[in-house]
Amino acid sequence: MNRLIRCAVAVLAICLTFGGVAQAETIRLGAILPLTGPGALIGTQQMRGIQFAIDQVNAKGGVNGNKIEVLFEDNQAKPDQSILSFNKLVDLQKVPMIFSAYSGPTLAMAPLATRKKVLLINAGAQADKLATASPYLINTLPTIGDEVSVISKYVVGEGKKRAAILFENDAAGIAGRDDYLKAFPAAGGTILAQEPTQFGQTDFRPALLKLADSKPDVMLVSITAGLQQMAQQYKQLGLKFMVAGTTFFQDPSVVADPAAQGFVHTQVRIDAPPALAAAFKQKYGVDMEFFVRQYYNATEIVVAVLDKLTAEKKPITGESMRDTLLAIRKFNGLIPLEFKSNTATVKLDINVMKDGKDVTIKQLSNE
Amino acid sequence: MDFLFSYIALAEIYVLLSLSTNLLVGIAGIFSVSQAAVFGVGAYIVAWFLMNNVLGFVPAFLIAAAGCVVLNILLTLPALRVSGDYFVVTSFGIQLLATAVFTNWTTGTGGANGLPGIPPPDLFGKALESTGQIVTLCSAAMVLSCVAFWLVMRAPFGRMLRAIREDELAVAAAGKNVLRAKVSAAALAGAFAGIAGGLYATFLSFVDPTSFDLDASILMLTMVVVGGARTLTGSIIGPFLLLALPQILTLIEIPTTIAAAARQLLYGVLLIAFMLFRPQGLAGEKL
Amino acid sequence: MLAVQLLVNGFVTGCALGVVAISFSLIYATTKIFHVAHAGIYTLAGYLAWTFVSHGVPDIAALLLAIALGALGGAAIQQFLYAPLERRKATHLVVLIASLGLLAVMQNIIAAVYSANILQFPVPWGSRMVAAGSIRLTWTQLLTAVLSLAAYAGTMWFAHRTILGKRIRAVASNPFLAEITRLQPQAVYIYVLAIASAIVCLPGVLVPLDLGLQPYGGITPLLTATIAMIAGGVGSISGAFALSVLIAELQNLSLLVIPGEWSIGITFFIFVIFMLFRPTGLFTKAR
Repeated sequence: MNRLIRCAVAVLAICLTFGGVAQAETIRLGAILPLTGPGALIGTQQMRGIQFAIDQVNAKGGVNGNKIEVLFEDNQAKPDQSILSFNKLVDLQKVPMIFSAYSGPTLAMAPLATRKKVLLINAGAQADKLATASPYLINTLPTIGDEVSVISKYVVGEGKKRAAILFENDAAGIAGRDDYLKAFPAAGGTILAQEPTQFGQTDFRPALLKLADSKPDVMLVSITAGLQQMAQQYKQLGLKFMVAGTTFFQDPSVVADPAAQGFVHTQVRIDAPPALAAAFKQKYGVDMEFFVRQYYNATEIVVAVLDKLTAEKKPITGESMRDTLLAIRKFNGLIPLEFKSNTATVKLDINVMKDGKDVTIKQLSNE
Repeated sequence: MDFLFSYIALAEIYVLLSLSTNLLVGIAGIFSVSQAAVFGVGAYIVAWFLMNNVLGFVPAFLIAAAGCVVLNILLTLPALRVSGDYFVVTSFGIQLLATAVFTNWTTGTGGANGLPGIPPPDLFGKALESTGQIVTLCSAAMVLSCVAFWLVMRAPFGRMLRAIREDELAVAAAGKNVLRAKVSAAALAGAFAGIAGGLYATFLSFVDPTSFDLDASILMLTMVVVGGARTLTGSIIGPFLLLALPQILTLIEIPTTIAAAARQLLYGVLLIAFMLFRPQGLAGEKL
Repeated sequence: MLAVQLLVNGFVTGCALGVVAISFSLIYATTKIFHVAHAGIYTLAGYLAWTFVSHGVPDIAALLLAIALGALGGAAIQQFLYAPLERRKATHLVVLIASLGLLAVMQNIIAAVYSANILQFPVPWGSRMVAAGSIRLTWTQLLTAVLSLAAYAGTMWFAHRTILGKRIRAVASNPFLAEITRLQPQAVYIYVLAIASAIVCLPGVLVPLDLGLQPYGGITPLLTATIAMIAGGVGSISGAFALSVLIAELQNLSLLVIPGEWSIGITFFIFVIFMLFRPTGLFTKAR
């Protein structure tokens, strides 16, 4: 028995010695996303985007030898669960940075982020209030207002001046609708009608029919889920007006669907090598959808920041990460962007869906 | 420490909600899945007053409580006309209607975007900003409410409520006003829910319709049943346990892709197990 | 013409909802259990059919297989969950929470296996159009309406003309007497769950065929169907079906007069008012 104990101690000692030395610090980051419940449909995409990017970085040995680990918390898109998860990640796991999603939870966590100096990175929500919610909140995608005004000008420029709005009755959809109500008339058009749909509700026929009844030239769309179903029902009902939207449209299954032929939308310029999309598809069995790309891109930004901090041997805190991010300012990952403020400025294009492909017809920027 | 404090604060708010649900469902026998709606009204009232700088925390708080008392009386009146099972669905309908109002009445509730930036509670002019201070406030509220609940249950009124649960006909035959007893229970339940709402709004500094939906009502019911119906201890244990459960479940290592769904699954399994093997909850009487 | 197209669409949706309502009504009227996990069977049916079709199984066979498995699932739930609970004399609330737990388990297993994305059925004939004048319908919509009406007719025939159907109605109207006269209510419950689950698999497959599959979407149609069931009168198959169509039409046609965000709210509001004045429903049989 004595011999066994001595052996065990020896083995343990060896492990501790070499284990301790060989391993560099694992950098722990947090992510608070809706992973179950109705929001899971989006939260899962976001999680995959982050995990995919992290796996690629770790496969190459991490950031200057440091592996990265992301701790995922499920908030079911609820603000109170988000606060609990935030405090848990910050108090217990001491993370310097948290990925966030959905306007409600992000706005709820913003004051905490300011107080605790934790970097919050949002790559999915576009409510206007997010721009000023906290100095520690970084939005890697522009608020929807910018995209809406660009597409409105384009559509009016094409002679489609009478519009109907289809919007999701939640924070994201309503933000888009409110922006259309301002931007479209400002561009010279008129809004004839608007109809809401519930998030996750894929029966768009009543709303489409009601909007069609007002005989618009174009339908302005502000929804985040069910786009493919909407496109199919639009075709089934034999509707002929133009359909316009924002980057949310760029869902590979929608692009490939013949029902979406002719849909126009603003598109945040993406530099996606096809190999990346193929690798993603191989791992997860689906295409890289909108939110996957947004969060993949956000993770790339974080990795770049960590790379600089570890190379300069600076401590990794929320404050240092935020300052470095704003100092680096321009990032050329999947979605090239620039941080002139807490919210990113991106290059926008106008795309049209044609024969199963998304084709750029105009290049701009959301200045 | 903040994590512990925020957990305790939230649990204490849910204790208030459990007391409310317990009174209504466990003791008065009025099956309700619309308590989250009342909770929401309390929260929105306090939020509105504080954000528009109309009143301080304490008066807003009292108004919210009073408002919820009235609301709960109105909502449970149908229960008294409609027999048990039918009221279940009516209650579902009330809750879903409330969610529709919260989401669509943008001027009053901020609509789907909710109301961000609610100021912290202030007592006698001093704002309570740190989580520790808020926990103290919630604890005080919880203790006071528990004492109130306990006193009510020991008083003749409480005994009458128990008697009504056992045999409503006998109580009525004895000349007691059954209707008034039930309505009073509903009123008190409303007060608890309103207080919880006020604390919730100022603790989170943000409210939106998702915190007051059907899921929330069902969570409250579950807390009461798992903690134990009709007892004070049950109303305290239930929230603390059920709020801790998801956190405890995160300690189990599961692959990331299915972790969240797996945990919800486990939660469901635990509920089933509880109902099969200990339906009276941890500290309750048989419902 | 907008109104006519809305009417037609509403009829299709209403028929599918009607089948959910009559299947739920069958269960509730007989066993008095608020079987929320029924939404789980409904969701599962769609995913099972999708799996079969994705592996090359012919469409009709996939549908029949899904129905068969659904029936088995329903029977299993009765045998392994509700019967033990009944033996332990569990109250309605306890059974409801157990059912909720089961629903959570089912939804999350589906989410873990299939992910939370909206899945499409790889069935090309589904979206081909049928046009009559200016009214346009997809083949799937047409099929949904036809098969749902057939299911309604089949259920009516079954309930009134077959021995098992009569036995079920006997147990539903007086379980105590049924026990004494050796109708074996417990065995009947298993039949009821199996048959009702089989029936609900029909819309469970057809609706997602039209609108896409989601793991967490089953509870909304179930709630609406429950309202239809109660408003139509518990125990009345025709009542449940008719009210389902009525509610669906109400939700569609209300778009002509009120803003869309309120169409669901209005439905529940009307229902609540209805409950106050005619709680026993429109078509109740004399009990």
